[in-house]
Amino acid sequence: MVDWSQVALAGVWGGLLALERRAFLQAMFSRPLVAATSIGLLLGEVESGLFVGMLLELFHLGAANLGAALPENDTIAATGCSAAAVGCALSTGGGGTPAIWALAIIMFGWLGALGRKIDRWLEPYNTRLSRKAVARAEHGELRRAVRQNLWGMWPHFLIYAALAGACTAVGFWVGPWVHQLPLPLVRGLAWAYPAMACGAAAIATRGSHARHSAAYAGATAAVVALVAVALSLRRGA
Amino acid sequence: MSEPPAGAAALAASPPPSPLPAMTLLRVFARSLFLQASWNPQGMQNLGLAYALFPALKALYPDPDRQMAAVRRHLAFFNTQPYMAAAILGGVIHHEARIARGEEGPEVVVGFKAALMGPLAALGDGFFWLSLRPALGAFCAALVPVLDAWAAVLFLVLYNVVHLTLRAKLFRMGLRLGDRLVEAVAHAHLPAWGARLRTVGAASAGGAVAYLAISLGANQGGRVGNALAVGYLALGVLAYWLTSKRFGNYALLYLAAGLAVAAGALL
Repeated sequence: MVDWSQVALAGVWGGLLALERRAFLQAMFSRPLVAATSIGLLLGEVESGLFVGMLLELFHLGAANLGAALPENDTIAATGCSAAAVGCALSTGGGGTPAIWALAIIMFGWLGALGRKIDRWLEPYNTRLSRKAVARAEHGELRRAVRQNLWGMWPHFLIYAALAGACTAVGFWVGPWVHQLPLPLVRGLAWAYPAMACGAAAIATRGSHARHSAAYAGATAAVVALVAVALSLRRGA
Repeated sequence: MSEPPAGAAALAASPPPSPLPAMTLLRVFARSLFLQASWNPQGMQNLGLAYALFPALKALYPDPDRQMAAVRRHLAFFNTQPYMAAAILGGVIHHEARIARGEEGPEVVVGFKAALMGPLAALGDGFFWLSLRPALGAFCAALVPVLDAWAAVLFLVLYNVVHLTLRAKLFRMGLRLGDRLVEAVAHAHLPAWGARLRTVGAASAGGAVAYLAISLGANQGGRVGNALAVGYLALGVLAYWLTSKRFGNYALLYLAAGLAVAAGALL
């Protein structure tokens, strides 16, 4: 059953994170790792938020807002996926699992691309605010002119709050169905989470923008793999 | 982050202190956090800049006509990296104070903004967006299996120690140094720090591939755990190769999911 108070909570927090991403502060509360974890914390299922956030952090690592170019909206992807995963985990009553995290990312991972379209779609509204501010300044209404700046925030808040809330509701709705999926499909979904995480980490390697990124990434991967193998052999012995 | 020596020396050389009260400067700084609230393709950060500067302009120009002229010149096109904008804001107040005293004409502050916004944007984008954020993001994401939710806290703390310190320092530098802030910023060696951070990002992401493949593969795979771990590692390498061939990121993500779901369902 959908818990509407959780839906509202996720919506409000998702809207605020959308503002933090672009309009206010930009202290990285809106980065996928933090945003998704905070959604999980708020709704009472930190683990789901954290692991969805980790994957999306790596996936969107190289995206940057340079000049007039708009990157994909990593925040709505993170809030949407984590809210759906948490809703799903809460409604199953069994907590988060890799299968649920994978399902949430498969369902809502594309929200990043949709978010970019929404951001672009909202730009003409801000242009109108800018023109209005200039017109008001010419009439000597200076305080009202500069305050136009703050009006640019509310459409972002409303749209992204609605999206995050909707994803939470879908998560709650989908949760009971997960139990009814055939076991091989659930196992496949559980295998999909690490597969997507490895793919996202590989994307992150390129997204690091480092020269010789392959060499640094390969060297670290080799060291980590060797340590892991050595540890497992030691445990076996 | 090393203190820019020339900047420190220049600060010590102390140009005249700002004529504005500390509370007004604090208000400008706080309002600068809303710099991009109405970002638009035409004027970009123009509204945000005028909004941030307004308390200072009001204090500097008691005459309504001069105040109006000052606000209007800051409603013109403006765009830079939002953190580096703190330096320009400080510099604009420095120049506006001189204009208010009649020591220079308004064209100087317009030229100051035009000259600095591009280079500072390039510097800030390169350091913050393309180096610090990806490096700390990859590093802390790789630490999730070890630190759990504290990895997100660590990310916030590490990022904002650098971000907020630099933002406040840049504002102060602009305020005191005006045009001379360029030298001070140049001595911070941000591009060199950026290159080192990008290396950290690449190495962390590589480590994350291996750790995730091995630990999650072993956990999920049961009797085929080792084979699954090797498969995930191979998938990571394949994914890296595909990104180098400009394969779409979303296509890659959903391809990985599809392969894994099919393998899990059929094996």
